[in-house]
Amino acid sequence: MNEMKKIAITLNVNNETHDVVTYPNRTLLEVLRNDLHLTGTKESCGEGVCGSCTVLINGTPVRSCLTLAIAVQGKEITTIEGLSVGEKLHPVQEAFVNHHAIQCGFCSPGMILTAFALLKENPMPTEAEIRYAISGNVCRCTGYAKIVEAIKSVAEEGR
Amino acid sequence: MELSTIWVALTKVYLFRIQYPSKMNVSIFGGPMRLPPFQYLEPINVEEALSMIATHKEKIKIVAGGTEVLNHMKLRLIEPAFVMNIGNLPSLDRVDINDTEIVIGANTRLKDIARAPLVNKRFKAISEAASQVASPTITNMATVGGNLLQNTRCMYYDQSGMVLNGLERCHKRGGTVCLAVKGSNRCFSVYQGDMAPALIAFDARCVLEKKGSTRTVPITELFTGTGITPLAIGADELLTKIIIPKPKTLCGSAYRKLRLRGSVDYPLASAAAFVSVTNDRKDTTCRLVIGAAGASPKVIDGPSGEADVEKMVQRAYEQTEGVNNLQLPGAYRRKMVSVLAKRAIAAAMDGIKEGM
Repeated sequence: MNEMKKIAITLNVNNETHDVVTYPNRTLLEVLRNDLHLTGTKESCGEGVCGSCTVLINGTPVRSCLTLAIAVQGKEITTIEGLSVGEKLHPVQEAFVNHHAIQCGFCSPGMILTAFALLKENPMPTEAEIRYAISGNVCRCTGYAKIVEAIKSVAEEGR
Repeated sequence: MELSTIWVALTKVYLFRIQYPSKMNVSIFGGPMRLPPFQYLEPINVEEALSMIATHKEKIKIVAGGTEVLNHMKLRLIEPAFVMNIGNLPSLDRVDINDTEIVIGANTRLKDIARAPLVNKRFKAISEAASQVASPTITNMATVGGNLLQNTRCMYYDQSGMVLNGLERCHKRGGTVCLAVKGSNRCFSVYQGDMAPALIAFDARCVLEKKGSTRTVPITELFTGTGITPLAIGADELLTKIIIPKPKTLCGSAYRKLRLRGSVDYPLASAAAFVSVTNDRKDTTCRLVIGAAGASPKVIDGPSGEADVEKMVQRAYEQTEGVNNLQLPGAYRRKMVSVLAKRAIAAAMDGIKEGM
């Protein structure tokens, strides 16, 4: 077994700087949930298949379960907690609520962040583009139709 | 055989786990998998990276996107002493275009390759392959170099320690049996990369650097063709660039892939085709590269008349190793290789017509 020492790392999460002392083999997901207590980001498969651990790094959706926390120092990390302003939900979140695009809610943080990144890059996506963008996020309640509707509604209302 | 073997193994290991919980360091029933311990290295430039791998050689594992290596580490298929992250090296993350070739840095994200306008227009097979790798979020992370240098896969190998502990040790894990082909004295694991067939179709080369020397080899030479050690890259070498020559004649290309879901999955059969026509429009040549057909992509060259295409497709079928070691039966995957080969060639020819 390799000897490992804890190290200090600095992460910029939701525009706040956090200093964490942790082991180099910790994934970003583990640090977000266990050290920073940002438990909105979920762990499901742990192997990059399901998308429930999606966070944004410099605005791009990535799998936090396959990202080393130590490797993303100095980058802008956005989690689901970073979308709303206080009690006011982000329009994408609001659309998910209004269109009943949430059943058990486990995939929602990942879905919403992926949709947020898509709409930022392409404010008027077609249905095919929406479906392609969220194809790496699994919803095991299979509520995909409502999710696509919600994302479309944000695009149509031009928010 | 197949799935039932795995279930028996799982049950055995589960019972073992209940009895001796302290002896297992990997758990799938007891919670999510964690990464094994390692020392983290982050070079600031390519020179430093080369000297790090020259020092630590086999003990080091290079990570760029991390989507393959971190997974294998979680499964305890590899437990490197050092992990070197080259994902943040900007010099490896760029696409340069000159008159005769396109030079892609090994760290270029697959998403960027799929979207590059020139690649999209003239190197269709490459953009089609890049956009079909895993899922969009994965292509935001995964790099072209990492995709090329992925290990071969098999359902008796890519499993967690819990499953593998209950299985007999196979060739790939240093044992003497093959669990997919009983009685075989070699490994039948499958190379399931998407990028390699498409790049080979365009005759791409890659640059391998080590401390003090550099060599440029065709991508076909990156592969040994053997399942146990599928990659022909030294432990002290770093893949830095991929060079794609610009075709001089009118050409078309395409990539087709079979998978169970429309996203996420590795190819279970795949084919890349490159068809070119001489400027006088008399001779056409075709290069077909088939993937997920053995331990390396396989190249089939030939003229591309109608009868010749049939022959090439037949050769593709003959060269495919159809073994029951992935999610679909080997015989079906083998048939699908020839179907996809035909579709890819047809699409490549349509590409030429559009270009005319």
